[in-house]
Amino acid sequence: MIGRTLVFLLVLVASTASAQEAPKDILISRQLATEQGLSVGSIVRLAVDANGTGARTFRIAGIYEPTPDPARLGVVPREVRLHLPDLLDVMRPPGMLAGTEYVANINVALTDPADAAAFARDVNARMPGVIARPSSEAAGSAGPFRVIERFHLAIAIVTIVAATVFLLALSIMLVDERRETVGILRLIGLPARRVLVQVLIEGVIVASVGAAFGLVLAVLSEGLINAFFQWRYDTALVFVRITRDVALTSTAIAVPLGASATVLASWALLRRSGLRLARR
Amino acid sequence: MNAVGFAWRSLVRQPARAILGVLGVAAVGALLLDMLLLSQGLIVSMRDLLDRSGWDIRVSVREIPGRGGRVSDASETAARIAALPSVKATLIVRIANARIEREGGPPIAATFEGVSGRSNKGAPITPPWTVLRGRDARGANEVVVDAAIAKAANLDVGGTITLRASCVADLEALPPARLQVTGIAEFPFAGTNEEGIGGSLDALKAACGGNVGDEADLLLVTSTGESRETAEAIRPVAPGLFAMTNDEVVGRLQQTGFTYFRQISAVLTTVTVSFAVLLISVLLTVSVNQRLGEIAALRALGFSRSRVVKDVLSESALIVGLGGLISLPLGLLLASGLDRILKAMPGIPAELHFFVFEGSALAVHIGLLAATAIVAALYPMRIVSTLPIAATLRDEVIG
Repeated sequence: MIGRTLVFLLVLVASTASAQEAPKDILISRQLATEQGLSVGSIVRLAVDANGTGARTFRIAGIYEPTPDPARLGVVPREVRLHLPDLLDVMRPPGMLAGTEYVANINVALTDPADAAAFARDVNARMPGVIARPSSEAAGSAGPFRVIERFHLAIAIVTIVAATVFLLALSIMLVDERRETVGILRLIGLPARRVLVQVLIEGVIVASVGAAFGLVLAVLSEGLINAFFQWRYDTALVFVRITRDVALTSTAIAVPLGASATVLASWALLRRSGLRLARR
Repeated sequence: MNAVGFAWRSLVRQPARAILGVLGVAAVGALLLDMLLLSQGLIVSMRDLLDRSGWDIRVSVREIPGRGGRVSDASETAARIAALPSVKATLIVRIANARIEREGGPPIAATFEGVSGRSNKGAPITPPWTVLRGRDARGANEVVVDAAIAKAANLDVGGTITLRASCVADLEALPPARLQVTGIAEFPFAGTNEEGIGGSLDALKAACGGNVGDEADLLLVTSTGESRETAEAIRPVAPGLFAMTNDEVVGRLQQTGFTYFRQISAVLTTVTVSFAVLLISVLLTVSVNQRLGEIAALRALGFSRSRVVKDVLSESALIVGLGGLISLPLGLLLASGLDRILKAMPGIPAELHFFVFEGSALAVHIGLLAATAIVAALYPMRIVSTLPIAATLRDEVIG
């Protein structure tokens, strides 16, 4: 088992201090560094409360970008990252013996990640009171992501329904506009199926061009949307990502939908006789 | 016949396109309404939730209560706060994780809220839960549980539960405590999938094997009058702690936690309105272009320019108006579905709603739809107003 550094929020007591022994190294978040005017090499004192109880001196060895967390969106991450023994030294209440503290989590890297489930079962059986779970199951922070994804999917479905209805209305109007042309085509001998194929091909071409235009627009706006929200929340979180799957899914929905709307709108028209259509 | 009647006949003459246009506006309008409800829903809902609790000030180590850290020397701090002349009552709230043992199944994970109140002037002390059946818990051996626990553990009022609570660390191995269930309660601040147990601080101490310490997750305060002044009076007697009124908590949440939904609502509102304007504009333009000869004939018969413009505007208003009417029930139905989706988010109180109906949201919805009807009609109105009568009639006859 490997004990890794943990992230905790501590109170920054003072920005400079002299130390008799070499101060231990810590990392601080970019946002905290910017807010407090700290840089690599700065000496700080950390304590668990504003009174400076048990304050210890540390040296800032680096500044890091915190892992984006959607659950903490809008909260400025003022974070300090310490080595676990240093953290326990700061946090240990008076009277508690060193080595009797507890930690919230222990991350384990296995030689073969495929053994994660079996390893977790083994630990749970051997160590009562300890809960071991494979990372894939313990990703609680993924909850908000999944919920937001479901929410966006629902919004997308409503948008598609609205767009389909409008598309049908437009198709009906456009087909109606070409009523006479269709009538003449029927009168000169083209069967209804032949005209329908022509309408279908036209629908596919228009829908494909529309889908391509939509994708280009999405790709162009992707950077703008990310830049705005990353600026707004001071986070590295990526809000919009046009992946290959997303592009394929939207094309797979848009093209058949557009073509179907055109064919559906033409169907009623083509059931009428050529003479009736051309007589308008 | 007036312009609206004329526009109505024009729509009825082409029922398929009119119905589809109205349905399209209804779908877009429903989405628009939902985005407007979302923009303020969480704030309105949270304010309502806080106000309903009966406590108007929250004292904790963080600006927003419930985000970690505990108040040390809780009893002494609560006593100092209770001694203030503008304070009616205080309540110490301590929260711990608990596991309820049950036969024939895994333990039920729950959150145990232990409270201890102090009333100054005979003011009632309201626990942070509402008893639905039975009575509230008193003393060290009684608790109330929520309906989900009662169902899962096959319990009712008068039954007993065996639980292990962890007040210091989750991994404590404590002996189980047996407590009597005196009531079934509702915990408004509990998360959607979070089960709740409530009782006195002594009951929590008993469940934690006495290993609690004089700490509190939260101190709730009721003021005699002005909560803002009382919060200011609390700050000097509770140094290092945040004393926040309900309005301040909501304001802080507005700045931090809820901004994502306001932003997404603003973006989607803009996109939805633009989408509606574009599509209605195209529908009307194509419709007008198909009827150019007819409109030119009406002009030749004596219809004024403003009259044909009014006809187009009325047609737009009818499509948007009818669609807007349908969008209201549709939007509320959709909002309840979307609310259910978002409430699955971890840490969201079950009683909190993302979509809350408000008169102001409805007013904005109507205003935006009215603006959509006008803006969408601008281009087709221009076409009919600048239509050359003679040339159009000639083209129609030759065509």
